[in-house]
Amino acid sequence: MQRNDVVTALEAALSEALEREVADLDGTVRLFDDLHLDSTSMLEVLMSLEESIGLEVEPEDLEIEAFESVDSLTDFVLSARAAAA
Amino acid sequence: MSTEPRLLHDLLDDAARRDPDTPALGAGDRTASFGELASASSRIARRLRARGLRRGDRVAVRTGDPLAAAAALFAVSRAGAVFSLLHESVRDGAFTHVLDDAEPSVVVCDTDDVRDEAGAAGADFLTTRDLLALADAPAPAAPDGTGEATPPPDRTCPVLEVDPVCMIYTSGTTSRPKAVVSTHQQILFAARAIQKRLGYRSDDTVYCPLPVSFDYGLYQVYLVMLAGARLRFGSPAEAGPPLLRSLIESGATVLAGVPAVSDRLAWLAARGKRRPTSLRLLTNTGAALSEKTVSSLRASLPDLRVQVMYGLTECKRAAIMPPDGDLERPGSCGLPLDGTEIFVIGPDGERLPSGETGQIVVRGPNVMAGYWRREELTAERFHRRDGLFPELRTGDYGWVDEDGYLYFDGRRDDIYKERGFRVSATEVEAAAHRVEGVDSAIVLPPADGRPAQLAVISSIPKEEVLERMRQEIEEFKVPRICVRLDDLPTNGNGKIDRARLADLISASGRA
Repeated sequence: MQRNDVVTALEAALSEALEREVADLDGTVRLFDDLHLDSTSMLEVLMSLEESIGLEVEPEDLEIEAFESVDSLTDFVLSARAAAA
Repeated sequence: MSTEPRLLHDLLDDAARRDPDTPALGAGDRTASFGELASASSRIARRLRARGLRRGDRVAVRTGDPLAAAAALFAVSRAGAVFSLLHESVRDGAFTHVLDDAEPSVVVCDTDDVRDEAGAAGADFLTTRDLLALADAPAPAAPDGTGEATPPPDRTCPVLEVDPVCMIYTSGTTSRPKAVVSTHQQILFAARAIQKRLGYRSDDTVYCPLPVSFDYGLYQVYLVMLAGARLRFGSPAEAGPPLLRSLIESGATVLAGVPAVSDRLAWLAARGKRRPTSLRLLTNTGAALSEKTVSSLRASLPDLRVQVMYGLTECKRAAIMPPDGDLERPGSCGLPLDGTEIFVIGPDGERLPSGETGQIVVRGPNVMAGYWRREELTAERFHRRDGLFPELRTGDYGWVDEDGYLYFDGRRDDIYKERGFRVSATEVEAAAHRVEGVDSAIVLPPADGRPAQLAVISSIPKEEVLERMRQEIEEFKVPRICVRLDDLPTNGNGKIDRARLADLISASGRA
């Protein structure tokens, strides 16, 4: 899976969690401050990614740094998938 | 030498005498002991008094630092003044409302726009850093009268336990939030009564993912002082997906939760290989905990006990369930606090027999003083039976079983809960109306698993309506769904037809 595909899946997950269209995200967009995600919607994003692209979450690996920006979360998803593969 | 605490800061001083040095309070990688907090708050109190803070003055504090908030609140208590801890999302119009309503003489906040506004309103403005700096250096003596000398303690009007000390802004039935005022005595009663039921231990570490602006978050500070326990605050980021990790790393034994937190923990714990095995107690407030969440938690964390509760800011806490009492009496939120009473009244104010549904009423020393500068609303909610005896008419509905257990059945007014936060439809609609370009706005409270929805007639796009509403009210109050309609359906009486409106909204593509 390519980075682009992860970003697309992330945009779909964010659209679902925020109940509005989220598209063409810049990597530097911050999830809490810019997109107004909260700790609940952040988990909803993970849940949708689990469904859409089979992301397997290890709860003890989830660190706050991963949820700072679109880029950091994309990196996290890519590395989680690489670890699971 | 332990006399009963009389004033709020006696809680801290007692805790500091028993255990001055343990790093009892923590947030992020910083900690503070009770002793440090006691001396910091004493110094801040002296400096604030030297700057002009007087008994009965209000102090508004909006900071992302819960340790600074704790230092501020005990300093304000020592000075005989009244603190209000504001959520970080109280900005712009919502903040202006607090300035107008509370008329604080000190504002602690970290944004510059507030500095100008607070200054214009005549308040002494401090950043969090300024506030903490007051604790660093002892106030210099000023023989020449130019600096700030420490004023001697005011012996003519000492702080009384019936003096106000805390204001908590809360939503409901009014277009702007109003503040519930508590005295020292009322807070101490509530805190001790809660501790008696929850039984925090001196070896507990309480993990609190709730902000101190939220009253249950704030009370965690008091509870750990009563118990001599430790408290770890979790930021929204730490209490999001990393919640399980945060609990394990902090060695938490108690989690102070709301349903959203518990739902998250259930999801994470079901997947985690490592589990927070030291966690012994989950308390829940804010809204009912789903049965699915509780049973999932019990499956993942077999040693975890659950205590559900019911309360509202106007009396802090009304009922608490014994540990795991929900297994025996599913749906109940527990028994009234010791020394208090809960009953249910019918439309004419008459007491209803057990089993019958009516308005929930609370009596006891936990019933707070009333709403700041809202005489009519105070008279209505904090009703005085026979013109004398206060009883809190909660506006919540429910029933009490033969053994005195309370069952909550919802509200009949405009308040709804979203993600554990109390939201007033009136307030949200008023905020939407203040947005230029919005002609009409109506809120449909959450139902059937869908979140709250806002319907507007407006000349600007719906995204813009929501964005501008964020400048009027706190983020969590802004509905996540907004639809623009050409017309709002009305019924024969000219009132909005909410059922047809809901149909229209789902027909417009938002199922």
